[in-house]
Amino acid sequence: MFQPRFLAPLRALERGLTRAPTAAIRNNNNYNNTSSLLRTTSSILSATSNSSILTQSKLTPLASPTLHQFLQVRHASHASQGTANRHSRDPAGKRLGAKRTAGEYVVPGCIIFRQRGTKWFPGENCAMGRDHTIYAAEAGYVRYYLDPERHPDRKYIGVVFEKDGKLPTPKNAPTRRKLNRVAVRFEPEEEVAAAKQGDLVAKIGQDGTQVGSATKVEAAQAAVQLRPGYMYREANWSIGRAAEKAGITAKPYNRKNRWLAWRKRTAKADRLAQMKSLKNKKKKKGGK
Amino acid sequence: MAHCERASKPLLQCLQKTYTKGLPGLQLQSTRAFQSTALAREEAQTEAKSTPFHKSPDPALVTSPRLERRLLRQGIAPVGSRRRRAALQGSSNIPFEQLPFQCFQEARKVLIADREEKVRDIQSTSEKIARLQALSNEEAGGLQVKKSKLRAMELHLEHLKILADVNDPLVKKKFEDGQGDLSKPIYRYLADRKWREYRRKILVQRITQMKVIPDVLPHCDPIVDTKLYFNRSQVQPGEYVNAKVSTTAPKLDVQLFEGGEKLVTIAVVDSDVPNVEKDGFDFKMHYLAVNVPISATNTKVDLAQLSGESQVVLPWEPPVAQKGSPYHRLSLFILEQKDSEPLDFAAVKAKETERENMLPRTLQARYHLKPIGAHLFRTQWDETTFEVMKQIGFPEANMELRRKRVEPLPYKRRNPSTFR
Repeated sequence: MFQPRFLAPLRALERGLTRAPTAAIRNNNNYNNTSSLLRTTSSILSATSNSSILTQSKLTPLASPTLHQFLQVRHASHASQGTANRHSRDPAGKRLGAKRTAGEYVVPGCIIFRQRGTKWFPGENCAMGRDHTIYAAEAGYVRYYLDPERHPDRKYIGVVFEKDGKLPTPKNAPTRRKLNRVAVRFEPEEEVAAAKQGDLVAKIGQDGTQVGSATKVEAAQAAVQLRPGYMYREANWSIGRAAEKAGITAKPYNRKNRWLAWRKRTAKADRLAQMKSLKNKKKKKGGK
Repeated sequence: MAHCERASKPLLQCLQKTYTKGLPGLQLQSTRAFQSTALAREEAQTEAKSTPFHKSPDPALVTSPRLERRLLRQGIAPVGSRRRRAALQGSSNIPFEQLPFQCFQEARKVLIADREEKVRDIQSTSEKIARLQALSNEEAGGLQVKKSKLRAMELHLEHLKILADVNDPLVKKKFEDGQGDLSKPIYRYLADRKWREYRRKILVQRITQMKVIPDVLPHCDPIVDTKLYFNRSQVQPGEYVNAKVSTTAPKLDVQLFEGGEKLVTIAVVDSDVPNVEKDGFDFKMHYLAVNVPISATNTKVDLAQLSGESQVVLPWEPPVAQKGSPYHRLSLFILEQKDSEPLDFAAVKAKETERENMLPRTLQARYHLKPIGAHLFRTQWDETTFEVMKQIGFPEANMELRRKRVEPLPYKRRNPSTFR
């Protein structure tokens, strides 16, 4: 709009004007006077050129130049990108690494190595957990070893039974195993079932003779306990096994038994038809 | 049945309609073959009037599952796929050589020419072998040289015999229909290839993953296909077998893929007999038989039927697993006797009397045996085991194995004073 040579003298004039009010305040002059002076200058300017609006808009922000520099706005989208030295780059340690060194004694379930991914593989008498943690499957002494016959570059962790045992074992040697069990006498199920059949016991009371199974009654009494809700009743698990006790067995489902399937299907269809008819009757009654 | 008939219909229609005129030579043989009506079936039906098809179903034509099952019960397997049998029902059964496909016949000519060439090669190689055998050792350049040369030439001859027939469509068809004659090298070769494609891989995987191979024997490269049957039902390698089922000795089907007869030793070993005192496992030999002849055509071996005077060293003992013991691996090994020479049965019987802790490794070393086949099944405690134990007089029938408590490691303080 303006030629630069026209603008240059205008700027000089502005500079002079801004200095003027500050000087006036310092000299404890009346503020009204300065404002009137401003107004007069603007009127002069308007007289010289047709751009009074422009000069006014340029003058108004000049009231606080220093404040503008420090009020920076950070929108949410900008802030979410993170700071330059954010702490998320340096998270807390996950405490990975060896928990048991080579030669240390471990029991089954003892964690030997925590890792991300499979830096180490489970070897003899060891197993790998859900997060690739290596743990002992047998009691023994930890060994860290390579087994080129099994895999050329995998590192293995194993457990040996002897303190001076060596890993890897030769490929054709029989595996060394432990039974880790003790022999305990047990009652075979048939004999247990025979013993459970209680003798018949006759009781003579006031209201006649009662015949019942002695052991069974005891068992039933033992089962009835005070349950939550102040109820004397059987435990839920024993209720759930009622069918098993009674010797009721469901036939295993056989998908090839089309005759049974047909009967079931027709029964279901009949039932549905009946339900439908009942519904309709109710509706009809309501309608009437 | 309807499905396969529908599927094969377009092919049959094409066959019957397009070639109505056919070839002149063909019309002489089967004048009615290329008419647009399906005559073969009608003929079959007219024949069936005397004996209806469902009374005596033909294994090459049967398509209904019910009739197939009936045939199987009689011990006759239906030939090929059901789709193919359905297609054959309506076809005129033209022999291969006369099929009216020009490209097919041209291809056959190429194959026939190749076969002739191979037959000539076979003749020349066998002549060469005869000539070399006629030469003395000095003329041939030493005994070793002559031997190695002969061996190489014989191998080449075997290879040529297979190459001569391997591309023959009739051979392929016969093999796929299960009508291959295993006394011929080509069918043995095809059977071996088929076995190695899948069944052998499964077997090797099972015996290595279940550690039979380093535990029982140091290594085994199966070259015979072994199938195991308990009460006429086949047991896949590594399957669990009910204790009651395994009271009787199993039957074997040992398929050899080489010519000639072999004498083998058959051993069934349990490598997981728990030993509480030792805190480990023992071996037990459940069956041992020597001098069992097998060949490509003589495959069936019934362990219960082998002769007690000349073959069975240790008769079958039913395997049982104590309650709570880990599963028992019962591995069966077919061990080839050295040079297929019979072992001295009386000596073996006198020596091998103890079932317990008879190691297969020891046997292998003592009698120079080489494992050529293997099979594996497992047993564990089940509802019938106790009964079987009482039946065979198992000494610790009502002893159960429970897990031994392992003492936990002493508690270690997580943050001792030195850490603070």
